[in-house]
Amino acid sequence: MSSLLILFLLIPLAGIALASRLRRGKHFFLLSLAMVLLDDLCLLVGVLKLPTSLPMKTADGWLYLDALSGWHLLVMLLVYTAGSVFALDYFHNDLAGGRLNRATARRYNQLWLGSLWTMTLTLLANNIGLMWVGMEATTLVTAFLISIYATPAAIEAMWKYLIICSVGIAFAFIGVLLVTASLQADASGVHQLFFTELIKATGYNHMLLKAAFLFSLVGFGTKAGLAPTHTWLPDAHSQAPGPVSAMFSGFMLNAALYCIMRHAALVNHALASDQFTSRLFVLFGLLSITIPAAFILYQRDLKRLLAYSSIEHLGIITLGLGLGPAGCFASLLHTLNHSMAKSLSFFAAGRLGQIHGTHKIQQIRGALHSTPLWGVALAGGLFALIGTAPFSIFISEYFMVKAAIGRGATVALIIFLLGISVIFVALLKQMIPMLWGEGNIERQESSSWSGIMVVVALLTLLLFFGIYLPLPMHNFLNRAAALAGGLQ
Amino acid sequence: MSFIALILSLALAPLLLSIINRSKAVIAGRRGAPLLQPYFNLTRLLQKGVVYSDVSSGLVQLSPVVNLAVLCCCVVLVPLGPIPAILHFSGDFILLAYLMGMGRFITMLGALDTGSSFEGMGASREAFFAALAEPAFFLTMAGLARITGAQSLNDILQTINSEHWLHATPSLLLIAVAFFLVFLAENARIPIDDPTTHLELTMIHEVMILDHSGPDLAMIEYGVALKIWLLAAIFAALFVPPGTNVLWLPLFLLLMVAIGMLVAMVESSMARLRLIRVPQLLISAGVFAGLALFLEFVQ
Amino acid sequence: MLTLMSLLLFMLVLTNLTLLGSSRLAFCIRTVAVQGVVLGLVPLFGLQPFTLQHGLLSLCAIILKGGIFPWLLLRGLRVARVKREVEPFIGFNVSLSIGFFTLIGSVIFASRLPLTGNNNTLIIALAIFTMLTGLLLLVSRRKALSMVLGYLVLENGIYCLGTAVADHIPMVVEFGVLLDVWVAVFGMGIAMYQINREFDHTDVDRLTELRG
Repeated sequence: MSSLLILFLLIPLAGIALASRLRRGKHFFLLSLAMVLLDDLCLLVGVLKLPTSLPMKTADGWLYLDALSGWHLLVMLLVYTAGSVFALDYFHNDLAGGRLNRATARRYNQLWLGSLWTMTLTLLANNIGLMWVGMEATTLVTAFLISIYATPAAIEAMWKYLIICSVGIAFAFIGVLLVTASLQADASGVHQLFFTELIKATGYNHMLLKAAFLFSLVGFGTKAGLAPTHTWLPDAHSQAPGPVSAMFSGFMLNAALYCIMRHAALVNHALASDQFTSRLFVLFGLLSITIPAAFILYQRDLKRLLAYSSIEHLGIITLGLGLGPAGCFASLLHTLNHSMAKSLSFFAAGRLGQIHGTHKIQQIRGALHSTPLWGVALAGGLFALIGTAPFSIFISEYFMVKAAIGRGATVALIIFLLGISVIFVALLKQMIPMLWGEGNIERQESSSWSGIMVVVALLTLLLFFGIYLPLPMHNFLNRAAALAGGLQ
Repeated sequence: MSFIALILSLALAPLLLSIINRSKAVIAGRRGAPLLQPYFNLTRLLQKGVVYSDVSSGLVQLSPVVNLAVLCCCVVLVPLGPIPAILHFSGDFILLAYLMGMGRFITMLGALDTGSSFEGMGASREAFFAALAEPAFFLTMAGLARITGAQSLNDILQTINSEHWLHATPSLLLIAVAFFLVFLAENARIPIDDPTTHLELTMIHEVMILDHSGPDLAMIEYGVALKIWLLAAIFAALFVPPGTNVLWLPLFLLLMVAIGMLVAMVESSMARLRLIRVPQLLISAGVFAGLALFLEFVQ
Repeated sequence: MLTLMSLLLFMLVLTNLTLLGSSRLAFCIRTVAVQGVVLGLVPLFGLQPFTLQHGLLSLCAIILKGGIFPWLLLRGLRVARVKREVEPFIGFNVSLSIGFFTLIGSVIFASRLPLTGNNNTLIIALAIFTMLTGLLLLVSRRKALSMVLGYLVLENGIYCLGTAVADHIPMVVEFGVLLDVWVAVFGMGIAMYQINREFDHTDVDRLTELRG
């Protein structure tokens, strides 16, 4: 069973190698899709065997999958599958029109699979150093996905992303070093810095461990787009092609947050209390919820709007991590919901941008009428994002409120509700003319199969989880939340 | 013995200046002026009359005299290698620094008194750079005092030995570099200032004495020579063996000649820095010296 | 005592201060290379018992930081025809002074760290100092290339901290980190090339197309 973990790492690599043999532009995208589907298949096999097989370890304990990383793996594959399917639609015109030549298409897909590989490595790594290596590698691989169309703005965004995130992640490595330093007093039982060993170890120097967590939070937090180090995020998200923006927002940010969760679990376990991490999580969470609100209100670019909304939602997830086990549960559920809704929105924004030739909100009018499919997708995505009722984000935000009340965090709750109310109004104000306004382009009838499939599937899932949360999933999430809390 | 050293210093000071000039000439491939040229210059100047500007007050006349007087006082405070200084007490290097400061101050006043805009400009630059060089000088002295445990300039320079160099190599190297930079700055040498320049706009020290003539100028030129001699003596003392054995004196004088040649080499190998970069060099000197002092405190 | 170690640490401080005070890009690149070599040598002397793996790691670090990076960056400097001055936002004098006080601050800070049984305080202090120097270079310089240098100095500081505090880091991870840094510098080099091609300059403060 555990050889599955190795398969997860091998499949993208095989895809990268195969890509060099292909000749036609479209085949590269089909190859990416095939590889991601193969990954999905592995996951499916894993899920079917689930009750017995988790946690599992392989390669001398270097690779490790438990409920927490399993959950993120699930979200990741969902985002990548949707992104790979959508890429067929998104790049179709550019391929036909010659704007995307063969070499660029190959590079795009190799980088796409490369980013999948690095993120898989981040999730599966049992060693905190290796996890860091994986996270840093995601920055390097994805940077060139932003500038696949080498426009000046895209290059500027790529440069800012590369520098800010590299420096941020470098800080996270100081956190890793400090974890090992805090161990030095009593290093028995820790040989390879495996999480499985670290969490059992005793005799940490508490002060150093706390410092380590601060560095990890700031470092990985930069990559996760937490305010106030979020500045690279709107640039990168707005300049990347549609599927890449969706992957950034839908999973890369969460991968960084996952690294923080791992460190937090370690700290909580060593301190036997989650007081320390909770306070920081709540602080950073609330900052990330309130700061984007102003930017959303006055935003003129659709993709930047969505990017700021990502900061807000990552803030919500972070806030949840600071609200005890119930909060962790809500956070993890929110991760899935946000990833789906945000992917959908970015897909729609990407295609609408292509059709209108711009991402300016002012120029996109009456999308529901002129481009029904992407209008519906945008409407669905945005309504889900602001947390309206039948969609699943409503449920996870409801759990969040419950957790806050249960924890007695009244001030945090009030700020949280205020923040999301402002964003609710702001997004509504921005989206209504986009969806129902006076259309300014011809009605477009044709939509490709891949586009329809993605939109329908994501909308269905968003609605489904909004209405019903299956019991096995509930239990699995509870296990993951317990691991994120780290207190058992 | 000390008085012999005093006379030696007063007599040989212009020679060091001439060694620098001669070495520069040799490096540049010229034959250069004879070694005794500074003495000829001084006698020539002493025989000339003096011209004072109508607008100036007595300060112009006063400044060369005071300047030379304070520099002669300084000679008393500095040991000549193995020969101890005539006067030494705790913290006497502070007196040394301020005596030199006073000389500079009076020169600046004299320059301002002439009413020439060029000389005012030179005075302002001199004041600025001196303000940056002075902390560096004090920091080097403080570092040396910390390393040797001595408190007067004389004791510091006479106790410093190979043992110190072994134990505190980095600090002493830093101090040496910092002191050399201060040495160049205080004596208005390249790369801080060019003593041979003919363009008033770029001058610092030379521009301040443009309006002096005759015996006044001789006093100033002699003061310049004395200052180089004194600071070179301090610098050289960092490298000679300790103690008061007079037999080391020839070695010490040779070292001073070597320092003169070093200055000549520096001057021949680089151009004067842009004025805007000069503060950077002096601050670097200060940072080097501070670093040395700091290293000594850490250990 | 005059040991090789103290000399290396001294070199580390000097390279940092040189970087803060010098204006020539090419000279800065070479200084960073020297710093890389110095740091590659640090773990070999006196910190840990010498093993073949440590030797190999040091060798890789030295080749990478002392050879490949400067070669890449100097090449970038030539190809992109960057103007050869650093052009800082914060002047050299102020940078140098800040650097000096940062050094003192780092030493005081490191001496108060609760690292019981660890006698590498000076190395930790200098590691912190190097990291802060890197950050200062990152925020105070205008050219893209000097930002890459700032990043490298920051990395150097972290590497130095790693040698001082963490002897548990497995080799695989160490090599992974080196690989990442390599790719990062490579990527930044390509990015710089693209910036130069699209904008005809590499002044980071003039990249202002995206805002709000």
